[in-house]
Amino acid sequence: MGNERITYANLLGISACVGLALIAHLSALPLWVPVVVVVCALIRLSMARKGRGAPPRSVLLTVAGLSVALLFLRFHTFNGIAAGTALLSLMAGLKLLETQTKRDIYIITLIIYFVSLAALLEGDSFFTLAYLIGVCWITTATLLRLTSAVPAPDWRRSARYGGRVLLQALPLALVLWLLFPRFAAPLWQIPSDSRTAPSGLSDTMSPGDISHLALSDEVAFRVRYATAVPPPQERYWRGPVLDEFDGHTWRRAYSGYYKPATLQPQGPAYKYTVMMEPHQHNWIFTLDWPASWDLQRGALSNDYTLMQPYALSRAIDVTATSYTHVQSGEALSAEMRRRNTRPPPRNPRTLQLAQQMRSAHPGDMDYVRAVLDMFAQQPFYYTLNPPKLADDSVDEFLFDTKRGFCGHYASAFAALMRAAHIPARVVTGYHGGTQNPYADYWILRQSEAHAWNEVWIDGRGWIRVDPTSAIAPQRVEMGVADTVNADEPLVSRWSRNRPWFAGLRLRLDALREMWRERILDYNQDSQRDLLEMLKIPEPDGQKLVMVLAVAIVLVFCWLTWQVRRELNPPLKDHAARAYAQLCAKLAAAGIPRLPHEGAEAYALRVARLRPDLANRVTALCRQYSFLRYAAPSTSVTAGQFQAAVRAFRPKATA
Amino acid sequence: MVSLRQAAINQLRARVIRRHGRDSLPISINRRRIYILPTRFGFMLGAILAAMLIAGLNYNSNLGLAFAFLMSSMALVTMHHCNRNLLRLSVDVTPEVDAFAGSEALFEFALRNDSNMDRRDVEIRCLSGAGLGSVPAHENASIAVAVPVKRRGVTRISQFELRTRYPFGWFYSWTYVQGSLTIYTAPAPDGSRILPSVGAQGNATHSEVRGDEDFSGLRAYEPGVPLKHMAWKVLARGGEAAVRSYSSLAAQPEWLEWSLLVGLDVEARLSQLCLWVLESEAAHRPYGLRLPGREIAPSGGAAHRFACLRALASYGIDES
Repeated sequence: MGNERITYANLLGISACVGLALIAHLSALPLWVPVVVVVCALIRLSMARKGRGAPPRSVLLTVAGLSVALLFLRFHTFNGIAAGTALLSLMAGLKLLETQTKRDIYIITLIIYFVSLAALLEGDSFFTLAYLIGVCWITTATLLRLTSAVPAPDWRRSARYGGRVLLQALPLALVLWLLFPRFAAPLWQIPSDSRTAPSGLSDTMSPGDISHLALSDEVAFRVRYATAVPPPQERYWRGPVLDEFDGHTWRRAYSGYYKPATLQPQGPAYKYTVMMEPHQHNWIFTLDWPASWDLQRGALSNDYTLMQPYALSRAIDVTATSYTHVQSGEALSAEMRRRNTRPPPRNPRTLQLAQQMRSAHPGDMDYVRAVLDMFAQQPFYYTLNPPKLADDSVDEFLFDTKRGFCGHYASAFAALMRAAHIPARVVTGYHGGTQNPYADYWILRQSEAHAWNEVWIDGRGWIRVDPTSAIAPQRVEMGVADTVNADEPLVSRWSRNRPWFAGLRLRLDALREMWRERILDYNQDSQRDLLEMLKIPEPDGQKLVMVLAVAIVLVFCWLTWQVRRELNPPLKDHAARAYAQLCAKLAAAGIPRLPHEGAEAYALRVARLRPDLANRVTALCRQYSFLRYAAPSTSVTAGQFQAAVRAFRPKATA
Repeated sequence: MVSLRQAAINQLRARVIRRHGRDSLPISINRRRIYILPTRFGFMLGAILAAMLIAGLNYNSNLGLAFAFLMSSMALVTMHHCNRNLLRLSVDVTPEVDAFAGSEALFEFALRNDSNMDRRDVEIRCLSGAGLGSVPAHENASIAVAVPVKRRGVTRISQFELRTRYPFGWFYSWTYVQGSLTIYTAPAPDGSRILPSVGAQGNATHSEVRGDEDFSGLRAYEPGVPLKHMAWKVLARGGEAAVRSYSSLAAQPEWLEWSLLVGLDVEARLSQLCLWVLESEAAHRPYGLRLPGREIAPSGGAAHRFACLRALASYGIDES
């Protein structure tokens, strides 16, 4: 089998399929891999065009050895999706180069199928799936043309046939997908391909970082509230807390995950589910002060950021409960106090200003208010593209430029607090969110990244202070797009002026979210819900397998019927079908219709042989003749005729 | 492994004979006699599908699983399609053919497709011969299978096979038909002796050929008579099919006799007789064949030729 030589058309078809499958991997592969594959295909095609066979084995082996060595240098392993795909792609390319017989092409189709799957293992988009199913369809159609020994069907017919097989496969695929038992944990450790760079907030903040992030319209995470939605001024989503300052940049101090101070919540609790995007960082965004969460290996750092031990590389859902106001009964630990009151290095003018203001406002809260008033009363501007700042960033900002985004204000505020020996730190995260009216959730985009402060007031604990609200209160009330000047280059501003576009985007986002929730996150629990919906009591894994078996049997029956039905599709015409039924009944009674007999002649013969049936049969046959040959507006309809035939039950013998 | 598979297939073939007995041709192939197995390529696909499934489960990727399940389902649908490609196909074949030693016997299998689907790539295997063809929907097609024969004799075939790898070559389905086919392998026509009549009467042949024109009466039609000898007018009047017979044809039959060929061994004699049969037939001359213990009365036409070749093929061989 498969030893026949291939033609140029075969080769062209399969090369195109390899190319299509590789497109899905372009972003993940080193550029030279697709280049090698394409060059191999082109060389082989040009050789086939000249009627020549494959190049000699030595050439092939050299190319193969070189590519595999290069690949190993790049990845240091062949395990994992990127390396494995690269290897398979190269194999497909080299196989193309040495293709002589149909069997070689069979191997290539198998590689195409597997490479297509590999693109889906970490992909999540509907379009990727649809595209790869398309690739699989085209490949299968190519295969049909290849395997047909006698005149190969043309492209259109092959594609139609492949499409039909694909459609007939859908019900079975659906049943398997819905009911095939899922594992809770992987069979073996997946090699982590952290090929995507971390996105969103980082654990450092230099002046200008957040305003840069605010230009991005990417989704940071989505939130579904289980309880009431907190008022706008309370929608602070805590990310990394930064408490080390070098005069220019704030950093997060890695202090381990020991139990943070216990807090007494005040005000209502908010329960919600955060749908995190894979941002490749360890933290999970939570509403201000998280109290409980369902993240298995999650823990709070001592500054109340929810952390997990590994970087987030998959989208996950975390359900948590938070409070927006807390009070601490304990005193601040000496270590924490030392760390959060370390005076800002450099920035001499800031230190001087702090000392002046501190002497005028000895009370901690008075001092906080005085600093906020300064921001509000002096000509400070809230802007998305503030001037660049050098090393003494706080000095320059407070005394020279006076233009900044939230990061600048938070940085300056914390510096002023620390200079006055009030424990203070910078909290980065997101603020606000857009409700999606088409689905019950809120979207937080990178453009809503924010930085604010927490100060320690003895007897009250950490208090959230947002200096941005002093300079631009509407930022906190309405969101960033309404606050910044109209000439700022903000992506969302464009869509804000075109409500249909914003609406469309939200609608698409709602679809995407539904896709993620229903399809991507389909798991054991969803299967249990499905069984419950089918009214199966106490669903468990065993019952799931039983339901799967029953469903497979049913689908197989359908498939057999469907496939055989295509051999002889049923008569579409109701009258003709009923007439065929009548003839079958009479045949069972012992008088089969002869092939040449018309309805009237048949009726006459039946009447002669079986006088007892004469009246009924003559009437029925006349009705059929009318339906067939008379004008449409006759006394009997096809439905009536059908009913009459159904009611007709001739006895076998007179 | 291969021998194990072969052994299983042999066992199956024997079982099929026991279960279905002889089939009378034409036969419509029903679903109970169609078998199906993956091809080697199909087994490779199965391995790939298993790998896809494991990868999907391991990465806990619902999209990967969806793709793996879709591909697996396509393979299963293909299984049905492969089986369907033979289902309800009617097969007929002329059960007895002649051939010459060292050449091929040609069976013309007539396939009828009463369904709405094209049947593509149907292969018929018969001993070491195989033929491939397609039957479009609601049409007939014939597939020629050439079976090489080496030696003179009678070859009896109790079973032939229809198989198909359509559509994608992942599966092959096949069926056995218990039709008894016979190949009468006549000896290869050979020899240097000239026809007895030519040798005995010399130039007389020429006048006899002209005597072809002398109409002497009608005789009953038999298959294989040259069309120009048909009595078309009789047929047109509504009478039985008849053949005009000519005086020279009727009068001067040629006897091809075993006993004329003294000094040759058995096979050489048979080869010479075979050559004479072909020559006489080509010249439209009536001829008879006399073998020890067997005599075929003089006549002409395809049926007569076949009878003579059959006699030559089975000479000295127990035909039962």
